[in-house]
Amino acid sequence: MSPAEEAALVRRLAAGDGEAFALVWRRHNAAMVRVATGILGNRASAEEVAQDSWIAVMRAIGDFRGDCSLAGWIFTILVNTARNRAAREGRMVSFEETDGPDGLADAFDGRGRWRRMPALWEELTPERIVAGRSVLAHVEAAIAALPPGQRAVIVLRAQVGLEAREVCEILGISEGNMRVMLHRARLAVRAALERIA
Amino acid sequence: MLSCREVAARASALIDGELGLAQRLRMRLHLAMCRGCARFVAQLRLATALIALAGGEEPGQDPSRLAAILDRLGHPEGGDGT
Ligand SMILES: [Zn+2]
Repeated sequence: MSPAEEAALVRRLAAGDGEAFALVWRRHNAAMVRVATGILGNRASAEEVAQDSWIAVMRAIGDFRGDCSLAGWIFTILVNTARNRAAREGRMVSFEETDGPDGLADAFDGRGRWRRMPALWEELTPERIVAGRSVLAHVEAAIAALPPGQRAVIVLRAQVGLEAREVCEILGISEGNMRVMLHRARLAVRAALERIA
Repeated sequence: MLSCREVAARASALIDGELGLAQRLRMRLHLAMCRGCARFVAQLRLATALIALAGGEEPGQDPSRLAAILDRLGHPEGGDGT
């Protein structure tokens, strides 16, 4: 969406245009629920938080000045709403990545060479991926099992397509930390695919 | 020369185009000679593409939820738990 298109969309939202709202809702709601589920640990609370966030978005849309993207602004509200709710429920949520093993800890020998040669994934063809839902279902399950920070980074950066800078601001993490989380999340998805390849 | 462990650690940076020229060349050199790492990077590229694809799916898009929000926006006095 170009800045001009986004500005037009924001004006329609501010004017209470239901069609514009439905468009934005369809574009972002599922991703909002995914991020909130990662933060809150359950889907039902996440659905409520997403709904509350939409109300907050529409009430404040007149104040949106375009300092960040509309999506970035919406997800800022979503993450803050979800964090507040998590805090009320006594859940501590940290997006910072801790220094732990990254899924490849045992993959290399003492000289840093592969212990076991990575396989050629001949069976994971584009046809198979498109034909059945099973491959993507595995990917979705692997993402759902990620720690909240990695999950939020994956959804915001790789799926919603926010700028790296926006993702870091929303989650309060450094860019280096974000890259580590992105890498680790990909490793986790790779490991899930290895089991079905 | 980079070890396989180092190549694996930098694989996302390579995929995302974040490596400088020298680092990129060292990676390319290793990948040209090491089948294991070449396969690993291909696997990580596929995982990266599938993650983006998984986000394109919109499960649980229940239209009644949209209606519920519009309802709450239309009646600012009632049913607003915030
Ligand atoms: Zn290697």
